[in-house]
Amino acid sequence: MAIYALRKLAFFLGAVFVASLAIFILIRAAGGNVAAIVLGKDATADAINALAHAYGLDQPLPVQYFNWITNMLQGDLGQSFRTKESVAELVTARLSVSVPLALSGLLLGLIIAIPVGTYAARNVGKPSGAVLALISQIGIAVPVFWAGILLSVLFGVKLGWLPTGGWIDWRESPIGAIRSLVLPVLSLGLIMAAVLIRYVRSAVLDVMNQDFVRTARAVGMTRTQALLSVGLRNAALPIVTIVGLQIAELIGGTVIIEMVFSLPGLSRMILANVAAREVIVVQSTVMLIIIFVIFVNFVVDLLYGVLDPRVRNAA
Amino acid sequence: MNTTTAVAPRRRRRLELNASLVVGIALTIGFLVIAIVSFFWLPSNPNIPNIKNRMLPPGTVDHWLGTDGLGRDIIAQLMVGARTSILVGAGGATISLILGTIAGLVAAAYGKIADETISRGADIMLSIPGMVTALVLAATMGSGALTTIFALTAFFTPSFTRVIRSAAMSVLQEDFITSAKLYGRGKLFILARHVIPNIAGVMIVQFTLYFAAGILTEAGLSYLGVGVTRPSISWGMMLNEAQQTVGISSPLAMWPGLAIVIVVLGLNLLGDGLRDVLDPKLKRRS
Repeated sequence: MAIYALRKLAFFLGAVFVASLAIFILIRAAGGNVAAIVLGKDATADAINALAHAYGLDQPLPVQYFNWITNMLQGDLGQSFRTKESVAELVTARLSVSVPLALSGLLLGLIIAIPVGTYAARNVGKPSGAVLALISQIGIAVPVFWAGILLSVLFGVKLGWLPTGGWIDWRESPIGAIRSLVLPVLSLGLIMAAVLIRYVRSAVLDVMNQDFVRTARAVGMTRTQALLSVGLRNAALPIVTIVGLQIAELIGGTVIIEMVFSLPGLSRMILANVAAREVIVVQSTVMLIIIFVIFVNFVVDLLYGVLDPRVRNAA
Repeated sequence: MNTTTAVAPRRRRRLELNASLVVGIALTIGFLVIAIVSFFWLPSNPNIPNIKNRMLPPGTVDHWLGTDGLGRDIIAQLMVGARTSILVGAGGATISLILGTIAGLVAAAYGKIADETISRGADIMLSIPGMVTALVLAATMGSGALTTIFALTAFFTPSFTRVIRSAAMSVLQEDFITSAKLYGRGKLFILARHVIPNIAGVMIVQFTLYFAAGILTEAGLSYLGVGVTRPSISWGMMLNEAQQTVGISSPLAMWPGLAIVIVVLGLNLLGDGLRDVLDPKLKRRS
């Protein structure tokens, strides 16, 4: 197990390194003279040089990269050129929107997908199974932002039950905050569920044909008992992996849904800062998101190794 | 002559149709035909505003699905949007397929170091959230169809690489590969003559599914305003414009969404149907 964990840790660190390099190059390659763009066309050459110097933008790119990484490792994510706010503050302020949205979306997706997918697998070849497979197929084809639009037309405009967009802060009114999150979470969760149902269904189908399920049936359990006692536990492994892989998708969905419902989350902040050429803010925020995703995958890999000895002993 | 008759019955079995395949083919052909027709005929120019005709309801003569806030015909816009979906979706899927096939074959056939490097590289790229990267990409390269294709290529190539690698590896373990090696055939010859034809089915299926995924991603990026821009037209962009100008409850926010669902569903059904036909072993899985 120790060797397995070390290998995964090495991969985690390698991935973070490669990703940081990629993000840095991507953002800086086409950046032009950042200080000049930030200050606008009326700025004097002195002012531009002063800003560039203050933020180390006049140093060679490899040095800038090195400084950025060492500062990040010490917990300093940099600050905005214009407002001087630190990136850490900017990000934390947005997390109270983005994190509940993404987590509840994923949770809702799983709550729907696990029973429905299991049911679809149990009824494969029957009309009910086929109908569920078709519904999930259609759900996969629905863009998450269109699901958001449809839901807000139905529940926001036609029925008037919930706000069609906008945000009320938790401190102002927790109920208001929850109300503004219901439709976004519903959109995200339903679309996640459509994708996850397919995976759950095929994972359960695989498990149902395994010898241990047959053995459980042979000692007198019913199909449902066998599925619940040994089947689901084994199907949990591939499902955990898929959830890990879906984290990147989940963040993509969250980005779009925040725009549909004009929620002041991380993605709105990134878009605004991209437009304002706040390279340090964008670079550090994007890097934080990527580290988070890679970290989740790292944890999933570790869990997988704990749960299944075959995985950690392979190769 | 004898060999052809012997092969015939097997051929017939392979072409066995299934419901997803039939529906998928029908929807996909309809989609392609509409895109092709748009080059020769459009009900009116989809980019020229006509304020007199603004916000016509669906069912108006000459504008059967109505017009948008600037008086532009919806059908004409949807037709040109189909073109964009194909250009960007198929473009991204094709480039990723080519790059992924090369990388996957190298990983499968050229030793452990090549395999480890390529596979770990693909794993890393897969763990980077695509939508966030696309935002950054659009900001640095400027939005447009080319940037969108580039972004799709960056998301899809690692997945293609993984699929092609594992398909190629299972072919490379077959006995006929060993005999080709013993016969003195070089690696490139074996890959081109034996491996690629045997993974062609996998390649076609994956291409179809990523074509669909490409259309969805393009629509998302254009909806965010970092994808395709006018004078090109994208279904995602139409949804964004509808939401910005007339509000979401207008029928304008329905048509492009429906178009996306129908086309993506068609391609996914086609991909699943083809998988069942081309690879019966996988029939019961996903």
